[in-house]
Amino acid sequence: MTVGADIKQCLATIKSIEAGLSSLAINTNAEDEQQLYHEQMMVIEEIKQDLMKRIGEVEREEEQYKGF
Amino acid sequence: MPGWLEVVVRGVLFLFVLFLTTKILGKKQLSELSFFEYVSGITIGSIAAEVMMGLENNIWHGIIGVAIFAVLPFFVEILSLHSKTVRDVVEGKGTVLIKDGKILEDNLKKEKYTTDELLQLLRGRDVFKVDEVEYAVLEADGKLSVLLKKDNRPLTRKDLDLPSINEKEPHTIVMDGEIFDEKLASAGKNRAWLKQELDKQNVTIENVFLGQVDASGQLTIDLYDDKIEVPTPQDKPLLLANMKKCQADLELFALATESEKAKRLYAANAKKLQESMDVLSPHLKG
Repeated sequence: MTVGADIKQCLATIKSIEAGLSSLAINTNAEDEQQLYHEQMMVIEEIKQDLMKRIGEVEREEEQYKGF
Repeated sequence: MPGWLEVVVRGVLFLFVLFLTTKILGKKQLSELSFFEYVSGITIGSIAAEVMMGLENNIWHGIIGVAIFAVLPFFVEILSLHSKTVRDVVEGKGTVLIKDGKILEDNLKKEKYTTDELLQLLRGRDVFKVDEVEYAVLEADGKLSVLLKKDNRPLTRKDLDLPSINEKEPHTIVMDGEIFDEKLASAGKNRAWLKQELDKQNVTIENVFLGQVDASGQLTIDLYDDKIEVPTPQDKPLLLANMKKCQADLELFALATESEKAKRLYAANAKKLQESMDVLSPHLKG
């Protein structure tokens, strides 16, 4: 697998973590837990943004990695 | 009226009377915590049995007897609610049997407990070595309460300096295939959610014997059909596993890339994810 594909796979996992945290936050009844999940979701969101930026760079540098 | 019919009538009547009495006296009577409750419990039972089987006895006398042993303790209860002195006399006080890890022989003698009986009570509390006990009280109802020495107490989250987790009670929302809307509401869920969760696990509501929701909204069910394997909720462990995988991936990328800037970016994010994992893992485990 190419580097680009690896990073994209990682991005997909990050997205699934974010979604998982989001669903936990919705489903839980405890407020402090809800808040915790939300906070961690923000952190994951930041990581996601960074990864997406990096994917953009990789795609610009190496044309062959382009595409989803 | 033939004798056997009389017994049936009296039996049903006294069952009803006893039921009412215990309902009125409440849970405290059933617990038999104090001398009064113990005595009245025995006496009420005996009176009922006596009148039921001894046909020469008057039914009304029996009922009066039961009523006395229900009403008197009831008023004593009310009195003892208000006065500590009455409480001490009526309900009795606990006796300290072990203090600072030492057995108080005098108190033991006063309560007429032998060493064997003390050991038996301790064993009932899973203590086999007297050495492990810091403090023990013989309660008014004859049960032994034991405070273990700090070293022998079970390990808690606090001992390990783990962050505190406040876990709420689970709600039982399905019993015998029947949905309890009230419980469902107090768990903050609705029927649509339940249906969705059951569909996810591929079972019908008719097949569910028992269903519980824990505080984090996970549904665990027990089915009538015990041949079907019910998956335990995997959302949380899966999430944690995914986080671990991603964290490892990011570290790998940081090592593999040649660009200095990208290396820093990956390393920083790997660290962030690690921190997030540290915070979440107590909640995501188990």
